Amino acid sequence: MKVPARGDAQIVERGFQRYDGRRSGVSGAIRSVSWESIRATLGLGRPARNKIFPVIAVVIAYLPAVVFIGIAVLIPGDILEPEEVADYPGYYGFIILAIVLFAALVAPEVLVSDRRNGMLAMYLSTPLDRRTYLVAKAVAVAAMLGLVTLLPPVLMLIGYSVENSGPDGLGSWLATLGRIVLSGIAISAALAAVSMAASSLTDRRAFAAIGIVLLLFATPILAAALIEGADLSPYWRVIDISTMPFELVFRIFGDPGNFPELATWAVLTGNLVWTIGGIAVVWWRYSKLVIAR
Amino acid sequence: MAFPSTRALDGLDVSIPGGVTGLVGANGAGKTTLISLVLGLLTPTAGSISVLGLDPTQSGAELRARIGYGPERNVFPDDLRAYDFVRHLAEVKGLPRDEARSRASDSLYLVGLGEERFRALGTMSTGQRQRVKLAQAIAADPHLIVLDEPTDGLDPVQRDEMLNIIVQVNRNFGIDVMLSSHVLEEVERVCDHVVALAEGRLVAQGSMVELAGASGGIELELVEIADRPSSVDDVAARLVAAGAGVRRNGATLSIVGFADDELFDLAARSVAESGARIRRLGRHRRSLDDIFADDSVTSGAERGSP
Repeated sequence: MKVPARGDAQIVERGFQRYDGRRSGVSGAIRSVSWESIRATLGLGRPARNKIFPVIAVVIAYLPAVVFIGIAVLIPGDILEPEEVADYPGYYGFIILAIVLFAALVAPEVLVSDRRNGMLAMYLSTPLDRRTYLVAKAVAVAAMLGLVTLLPPVLMLIGYSVENSGPDGLGSWLATLGRIVLSGIAISAALAAVSMAASSLTDRRAFAAIGIVLLLFATPILAAALIEGADLSPYWRVIDISTMPFELVFRIFGDPGNFPELATWAVLTGNLVWTIGGIAVVWWRYSKLVIAR
Repeated sequence: MAFPSTRALDGLDVSIPGGVTGLVGANGAGKTTLISLVLGLLTPTAGSISVLGLDPTQSGAELRARIGYGPERNVFPDDLRAYDFVRHLAEVKGLPRDEARSRASDSLYLVGLGEERFRALGTMSTGQRQRVKLAQAIAADPHLIVLDEPTDGLDPVQRDEMLNIIVQVNRNFGIDVMLSSHVLEEVERVCDHVVALAEGRLVAQGSMVELAGASGGIELELVEIADRPSSVDDVAARLVAAGAGVRRNGATLSIVGFADDELFDLAARSVAESGARIRRLGRHRRSLDDIFADDSVTSGAERGSP
């Protein structure tokens, strides 16, 4: 047996020691909080019961894309009718349930939980302040919503392209991808702002979720009542938060959409007002919060 | 600091050196408000504050990266494992992921939770949660840790262990500690310095040696003699007549008013003249209880004055 020479021996000190290395600062804190919020929402690192709801929502969001790709694979391109598969803006009509579920799930989990379980005070004792904390949370909510608004159409684009049913030429393909990305960002931004605003107003996750769902279902009814019942201008449609982001997607793809009587600028303004309004409510609420411990 | 309905920490002027500093006072004294100001969670409505040479209102992010905080509140995400909780907060404090991982384990081992580190926080006892709070406070290697009631909810054995770890963190790793508590005995035991608050006012500040270790006069315990029941009263009367302040508790007299040597002479003379017998005579070590007792007398008198 070879005995190591005395000079080779080392004492490797274990245990708590001082650290004088690099620190990532505020940007690293935002990144870490965003990622941990995403993990919490998806139930990663948590018991299995926490994964059920997000998995259902993701399945609902991706299943139509898989089905349409399957149809494109099984039916030869020369006999496949365009109406037999969804176009990109029309795809959102198939996954609206998943989007509503995600909007009602994500923001309450990401925002309300921190206020209830004391993590907000913990985060504000780190390099984060209220503004950067909300930025981290907004990134998490928008990224989670992007999981169901952005990636399924991208998956569909890739599937169609592999089956030679996608856009012709690289330029057209990139343009389509750009429109998909823009659409996903538009929907995610509007719904993230609105759902965060609802979540900032209550300390109960269930109340926040119900509030978000009510908002998404009540505003189209209210818009219809104003336009058809009270005979007001069709431009009142902009108050319909469950329609405006998807109407904007049609316009991004050059489609007149479901409400051609609305000018594109009105649709865009409606989305901006909802997005900025949601952000304003969240900021107002958090700037008033007294966090003493 | 002014809240909508009250003023807290009005006119407070405090200087806290390194070491272990105790922030003492009853509930509502202003301890948590002071901690929140130190962390930059609250902005003072008047005056200024400097922590580790930085202004929390101006350099909050930079400052908070150098401070570890253990809140009083004992509610954390129940589903999260202790290790993930500590690792995540170390990352938020700026540590690279690999470093945060290893330091999360090291910190949990240091507080005695090495074998329990993968348990969910919701399944842990109050004592274990208090240790987790301490572990996350030190994991990112701060210059200062601020612990709000770190022994709250602990039994005497757990409290001793927690206090020992806190002292160890300061002595072995040079991390300054500011801890709040309403248990004066534990502050006397572990703190080098103390800041005493009552109803938002500063009652006393300084080193424990200056405050609690200083002489509080002398204490004279007499033997109660059956056939001379007035001997204790007689001694007390002689001391008062000589100009000393006397507080009587049974056969024990606490005597103040002169230098200790003069008090010893005066006490010995009074006992000899009255024919009483001494059971014990010694210096009275002033405690934080005495400081608060003195303040309550003073502030009560102030409140009572027109």
